[in-house]
Amino acid sequence: MTDTITLPAGFEDLTELAAHWARATENARSAIRWSASAQDFAGFYAAFMPRLRAALDLLEQVPLEEMDEAQNNLFELACAFAEAAPHHELYGGSADVPHSFSARRFVPGHGDTASRL
Amino acid sequence: MTDPASTTLKPGAETFAHLGRSVAAIRAELGTDPVSVDAIRDPAIYELEREKIFRRTWLKVATTSELPAIGDYKVKDLPVVDASVLIVRGKDGVVRAFHNVCTHRGNKVVPTSDAETFGRARAGVVTCRFHGWVFGTDGPLRSVPLEDHFGTLDKACLGLREIACDTWEGFVFINMADPPEQTLAEYLGDFGTLFGGYPYAEATTAYRYSTVLECNWKVALYAFSEGYHVPTIHAGSLPGFRGIEHSDFKLIGPHASSTIYGLGMEAAASTAECARVLHGSAAHAPHPEQVPPGINPTRRADFQFELPNVFPNLLIHLAAGCGYPGMAFFTHQFWPLDHGRTLWEGINYFRPARNAAERVAQLHVNALHRNAWLEDTATMEDTFTGIRSGAVDTMQLMDQEFLIRHAARTLDRYLAA
Repeated sequence: MTDTITLPAGFEDLTELAAHWARATENARSAIRWSASAQDFAGFYAAFMPRLRAALDLLEQVPLEEMDEAQNNLFELACAFAEAAPHHELYGGSADVPHSFSARRFVPGHGDTASRL
Repeated sequence: MTDPASTTLKPGAETFAHLGRSVAAIRAELGTDPVSVDAIRDPAIYELEREKIFRRTWLKVATTSELPAIGDYKVKDLPVVDASVLIVRGKDGVVRAFHNVCTHRGNKVVPTSDAETFGRARAGVVTCRFHGWVFGTDGPLRSVPLEDHFGTLDKACLGLREIACDTWEGFVFINMADPPEQTLAEYLGDFGTLFGGYPYAEATTAYRYSTVLECNWKVALYAFSEGYHVPTIHAGSLPGFRGIEHSDFKLIGPHASSTIYGLGMEAAASTAECARVLHGSAAHAPHPEQVPPGINPTRRADFQFELPNVFPNLLIHLAAGCGYPGMAFFTHQFWPLDHGRTLWEGINYFRPARNAAERVAQLHVNALHRNAWLEDTATMEDTFTGIRSGAVDTMQLMDQEFLIRHAARTLDRYLAA
């Protein structure tokens, strides 16, 4: 899978990360997050947080409906990071929000809709 | 916490002065005694609530932005009033509500598989799948297969059964009473003007979460109706949200409201980056000037959002981007499924992202808020179990829990009517 993912220039080193984390929909990203370990979150954070500013700067230039494949892959990776970062920053690496209701019982109405739409 | 630079009232704020209550006034008006949990515990009271509250009050069931085009419909199944409700935009552009019931033999005209079902009627009609009866999206029965095989059939009297429906600021409400005792404007009263004028309809990006909670609907409503819990329940998700102030109490007939002030939420590095994107955009930046005049009347810079309770089961938190970065407002609704089961719906509303970075940032904010809701909902089933056990007969309510005290009193008043 890794060799099929293209990313914009300057982000090519993140293809492995994208292969694991980048997905189009919230439900698909949640499934990956729910099975992640503290080490997974820490690794994602260490690799992507220093690149978040550059990624957002690039994506800021792109209308949602005009993303090419590489831009869309970076977008989906950034979406995954946007949702995963609190688990490293706030929840001590836990895949669950501590002291919370089961996230699996929350149904997102948009869960199977691509986040770019 | 009062901002010394903001001591003058916003123009128009004086119009709402009669709604405001000091803590002393709240205590004097609503009392300070413990409040009985009987209304939560007793299934017989739930049956009364169905008849005397949910069949009589105006209930929000949709937004007009969910039905942008002619023929767009939403079906909302509402077990609390034993109804499946079809909300549809007719050819004339008017949004109407009907019982989603075929007048032939009572089948659902639009089949549903969930609490909410969306679709678009073609050619201005909906067709019952059972025998093919066709109804206009404005209600009349248009055609009946084998019509001449009925001995008598008065088609003019067999249109979809209409339900009172009206809109306020893009929120679609229904009232099951025929006719309702008050118009929607009368029912909302000063709430409609206090919260009126904000461009709600521009926030068309909606992220909706729902779950079925094994608790009475008021346990869920009350858990979301106060700021007292924030420093404890949300210590995980909102570590930066310290020193919150829940004040500016307002009583508005059956409704009530209050304000959450506090410091910003950009505690984590990722949140700060996302906030930078959203705050750098005119569309998503904080717009305190759009907050209606009766809310945050002294223009405090630490305004987060207005927290009202719209009786019986709706909360509309108006933030105008001042609280969670980029979030225009968010709503909660609590739909009883039976005495001890509740469909909770939480929806975050943003203005549309203009580019991919804004969407990423919105998804981060959405996830933070969803996670906070996961913390909120964690208490509800335990609370209901505790109340059902009989261990406690009353709730002890502090000042910031006045919305609960007020809602409980309003409930009692409706049940006694």
